[in-house]
Amino acid sequence: MLIKYFATFRDLTKENSLVLTDAPTNIAELLELLSVRYGAAFRAAVFENGELSSVMILLVNGRNVRITGGLATPVSPDDEVSVFPMVAGG
Amino acid sequence: MNGWIGTTLRVDLTRGTIKREPTNMKVAHDYIGARGMGVKIISDEVDPSVDALGPDNKLVFAPGPFTGTFAPSAGRYNVITKSPLNGTIAGSNSGGVFGPELKFAGYDALIIEGQAKKPVYLWIKNDVVEIRDASAIWGMTVADTTEALREQTDPDAKVACIGPAGENLSLIASIMNEMHRAAGRTGVGAVMGSKKLKAIAVIGTGEITVADPDAFKAAVMDARGKIQANPVGGAGLKAYGTDVLVNILNQSGALPVNNWQDAYSPAADKIGGESLAANQLVRPKGCFACIISCGRATKVTNPLYAGVGEGPEYESAWAFGVDSGIDNLDAVIKANYLCNEYGIDTISMGSTIACAMELYELGLLTKKDTDGLDLSFGNAAVMVEMVRKTGVGEGFGKRLQEGSYRLADSVGRPDLSMTVKKQEMPAYDPRGVQGIGLNYATNNRGGCHVRGYTIAVEVLGQGAPTDPHATEGKAALDIVFQDLTSALDSSGSCLFATFGIGGAELAGMLTALTGVEYSLDEFMKIGARIWNLERLWNLKVGYTTADDTLPARLLTEPIKTGPSKGRVNHLDQMLPEYYALRGWDANGVPTPAKLADLAL
Repeated sequence: MLIKYFATFRDLTKENSLVLTDAPTNIAELLELLSVRYGAAFRAAVFENGELSSVMILLVNGRNVRITGGLATPVSPDDEVSVFPMVAGG
Repeated sequence: MNGWIGTTLRVDLTRGTIKREPTNMKVAHDYIGARGMGVKIISDEVDPSVDALGPDNKLVFAPGPFTGTFAPSAGRYNVITKSPLNGTIAGSNSGGVFGPELKFAGYDALIIEGQAKKPVYLWIKNDVVEIRDASAIWGMTVADTTEALREQTDPDAKVACIGPAGENLSLIASIMNEMHRAAGRTGVGAVMGSKKLKAIAVIGTGEITVADPDAFKAAVMDARGKIQANPVGGAGLKAYGTDVLVNILNQSGALPVNNWQDAYSPAADKIGGESLAANQLVRPKGCFACIISCGRATKVTNPLYAGVGEGPEYESAWAFGVDSGIDNLDAVIKANYLCNEYGIDTISMGSTIACAMELYELGLLTKKDTDGLDLSFGNAAVMVEMVRKTGVGEGFGKRLQEGSYRLADSVGRPDLSMTVKKQEMPAYDPRGVQGIGLNYATNNRGGCHVRGYTIAVEVLGQGAPTDPHATEGKAALDIVFQDLTSALDSSGSCLFATFGIGGAELAGMLTALTGVEYSLDEFMKIGARIWNLERLWNLKVGYTTADDTLPARLLTEPIKTGPSKGRVNHLDQMLPEYYALRGWDANGVPTPAKLADLAL
């Protein structure tokens, strides 16, 4: 699984991407794994009272997990996951 | 009189007359100001059949009630006119401090009529207004014009002007203020150039009165708090600017590449906001009363493209970047700087170059056309040179300055112009985001994203997120965004304030400011009134439902790579519902009942 980080998540993780060899089955498991790897600041950025943080954009193969099941969104080893803070523009 | 000033300034450049007249307060109440007021004035006073670059067209500069107050991000003014690019009732808005200054000088609107015989500029110092000779500054760049006028008038004067592109009547010319802020779209700069009006310099020392100061202060503080608490308005835009969208749209499979031949680029990260923040950003910059500061003061040290200025925004980075096959951010920024100097819309400029690149690679343009230059995708140095040529109207630049539609049409391939109603579309591919495609197709000024920014919920997942690939519900979604933006544009607020507040907060602030009761429903109805009035103009110009469409490429040519691979836009599934929900007949004409409901 390829994890790509953008904007403030590059500061939080100190890397632009990560090839994950673990095999989480859904977004909740994936974010828990990553929180263990990167620590409390990362955990605070991705979870909000145990739910998916409202200030983050998380894409699995280009699909925003907010419309695919949130933390329950399934993931597989071939997936590409993109992690952004909530930003916008115009 | 609260919120509004009560005075409109009318300048006839043919006769050389200047009149101060009472603002029509019925129009102010029913259309708020800025865009709405300008659309009403143009609709009432200009025949849709006039030559957009002739003396009978008019040019309205209008701030809104919020403009110049301490309402959050209340620095906007609108320019409204008949577009020379596409004939629509066009408008473009800009931030900075020019709009507030015009308000402080005592005006709800400035109406420019006629056509001067020789170059002039307008000097406004409160109620002292002069038409002055601009022969000495005609031909100057935007920065030089601004500096020269500050020397001739007042060091603190706020200047809106055109560059050489507007003088040359380029159909993609912008009006610039404070050197770097642009009313960029729909060719408004050419209208100013056609009137031989080089600039407007203004100083204002008046005040804006408030109907209920305590209520207005409370409403403003509530709105400011919500914007600052929002991750986008509070910190996101300040840190990375709008260019941060490059990676998000790319990873979503909706970043147009190589004149929209694809919608994903492995090189996108090189031109994104993260790269900009790491390499060229000097500091964030905000407009009047802004608490967001999305602007980018930047510096390029690469000797090939060295310079100091502002930008790029997301759209500009995309147009000069991956849409032109370019991943050199220094070159992208240089192109942006040149557009600011010559007064050119960055979206249309970059997209027109991208179109020319595809025509060149197809052999429909050759080096005989391009002044001997290799206009292949990815040629950064030639891309920058093409911007310069367009700015000064030199060689192939004379063809580029008419925009991509006329260029592509001239070689028999208008389908390769990525435009709606001849205006270049912004950087969101409707094949990957269905609702924004419907917005482009139905937008009253042609290809436009800010007047219906469904990206907020379709891609960014804000509010009530929707599936970007779905067509269901997109007609209603588009209408809400279009109407809200029409009213917001008319208030003088910035679109980015809506990353934190909505129509209810805007209506509440407007009520406290003006003393006129605006409910959320009334605010949205005003938005619909403006939208329908713009539609009526376009119908009179000759637009039909056949023009409410997208380039054939987006409807029939699937995206080749990336997350949206294989997708096209399904406009036909959304457009009939859009007409029905709008209260329009099958020909896209507002029904008598709808017009009556909107008091049109």
